[in-house]
Amino acid sequence: MAQIYDYLVIGAGPAGMAAAIETSNAGLSVLVLDQASSAGGQIYRNLGHADKQQTSVLGSNYGAGKPLLECFMAANCDYQSSVQVWHIETHTKGFLVAAIVAGETKSFLTSHLLLAHGAMERPMAITGWHKPGVLTAGAGQILLKSSALMPKEVVLVGSGPLLLLLAQQYRVAGVAIKAILDTTPKSNYWYAIPWLVAGLTNPMELFKGLWLTLVQRIKIPYISGVSHLEVMGDEQVSGVKYTVSDRVYNIDCKLVMLHQGIIAQTQMAQMLRCAMVWNERQQCWQIKADVMGYTSIPGVQVAGDGGSIGGALLAQIEGRVAGMGRVFNTPVVSPWHKKWVYSWLRFRVKQLRWARGLVDRLYRPAEWLSKPADQTIVCRCEQVNAKTIRSIVNSGCAGVNQLKRFTRAGMGACQGRQCGLNLSHLVAQTQQRPMAEVEPLSVRPPLSPINLGQLAKSLRL
Amino acid sequence: MSDFLFNHLLDDAHQCPIIVNGVACQVPEQLSVAAALLYLGHLANRQHPVSGELRGSYCHAGFCFECLVAIDGQANKRACLTQITPNMSINTALAGVN
Ligand code: FES
Repeated sequence: MAQIYDYLVIGAGPAGMAAAIETSNAGLSVLVLDQASSAGGQIYRNLGHADKQQTSVLGSNYGAGKPLLECFMAANCDYQSSVQVWHIETHTKGFLVAAIVAGETKSFLTSHLLLAHGAMERPMAITGWHKPGVLTAGAGQILLKSSALMPKEVVLVGSGPLLLLLAQQYRVAGVAIKAILDTTPKSNYWYAIPWLVAGLTNPMELFKGLWLTLVQRIKIPYISGVSHLEVMGDEQVSGVKYTVSDRVYNIDCKLVMLHQGIIAQTQMAQMLRCAMVWNERQQCWQIKADVMGYTSIPGVQVAGDGGSIGGALLAQIEGRVAGMGRVFNTPVVSPWHKKWVYSWLRFRVKQLRWARGLVDRLYRPAEWLSKPADQTIVCRCEQVNAKTIRSIVNSGCAGVNQLKRFTRAGMGACQGRQCGLNLSHLVAQTQQRPMAEVEPLSVRPPLSPINLGQLAKSLRL
Repeated sequence: MSDFLFNHLLDDAHQCPIIVNGVACQVPEQLSVAAALLYLGHLANRQHPVSGELRGSYCHAGFCFECLVAIDGQANKRACLTQITPNMSINTALAGVN
């Protein structure tokens, strides 16, 4: 019989690491499963092995993860890297998590589960985004962190803090940034003003953010108010076409990096049938959860950017809160002051989430980006364009899940990760309904591909 | 298709031998397979099964499944989630190459 863990944490980013430290210190048996080859999540990716030169290019926020990472590595918990979770289900003993570890299938049992798998980039469906030579800004950062690879020349397109951070890092590393094409709608700046009060509760971050924005504007050809983007090229990228104040421009390039913020990943929670909510402020679906991370399914918690987007510091605090919540659920007697810490941290979670409102409002994605042009491929895997989707919805298709059956959009290998949100936008727009009323794309097993041999073996626990 | 559009940050990185489409190459170690392909100038790594259009790695985080290649004989592996190892054999899924 397999061991039943007290706490199984999916993801070894700031949230997952903090939760694992908290629970294993209290004496619970903890297992952490992580997709990456080393702990740290996206923000502290490869931090344990990064070269000095890399760390200096990546900046101080990257190096700031060292103490947490060291504490996690020293914690008394089981940790497995390079793990692909392909299925999760409820089980008489709690939850069963099926994964592929080093090519072999393994199953784990746990009484409580923490989803700390982080977020993903908001898909940016512009015409030509599927051509070789288009990457995401997140990909650019991953290449820099894990592989110390950087483009010789690139055009950065979109909106959001990560895009500016990448610009800064690339500039320091000596990459020629041909231009930043900023899609942030000008009206966002006005709408964000009331949120300045919220931002001021986190003055250090606010200052850093302002500085980052200013520096890029001065040092890099910075074009704001960009719309109607199109990636040009036949077999691969040859340039980008864009519009500023009704004038059309072209810029030649072979590499483009896109970004328009990040959205929560909901696949695993959806598989467990956790309730979802539409978050209007962050413009994405989220796993419904309370401040302690408890979802609608007892025993399942969520922490970090996989729940509500808030960045590394908030993720770390949320992870700690989730871990403490788990410990208080056990007969383990915690020292008296822990209750105080717990209350304080829960307050911090609320405060930092509020402070995040400034970033959310300032970088809310431009509306035209959720209305792809007819010829734009929305579902990359099955090559379905916006025109097909619109016409099927117009002819009476009820929602995204029916749309999937009619057009195959969302049925491909990525499980709708790259198209799901845009499919919902298209359904909502065509049916003139608010997003909150439109369902998200449903998720089917396996969460990641598994071959028959592995599947056969997985039947033995 | 072989434009070298990427640089390695470290000048003195150790090299690792890999085989791409049957050709022996040297790339800095610690790259993911997808990164190694970009480094060697392969922006595209497969053809779309429906349209035949070229596709290349996109998210490098395991979400988009655009980076599928054959690694050591195993087809459809996500190149961005696999680290290179010495003498690893990588085959892109482009017509006329394999
Ligand atoms: S590049 Fe997106 S899954 Fe590998």
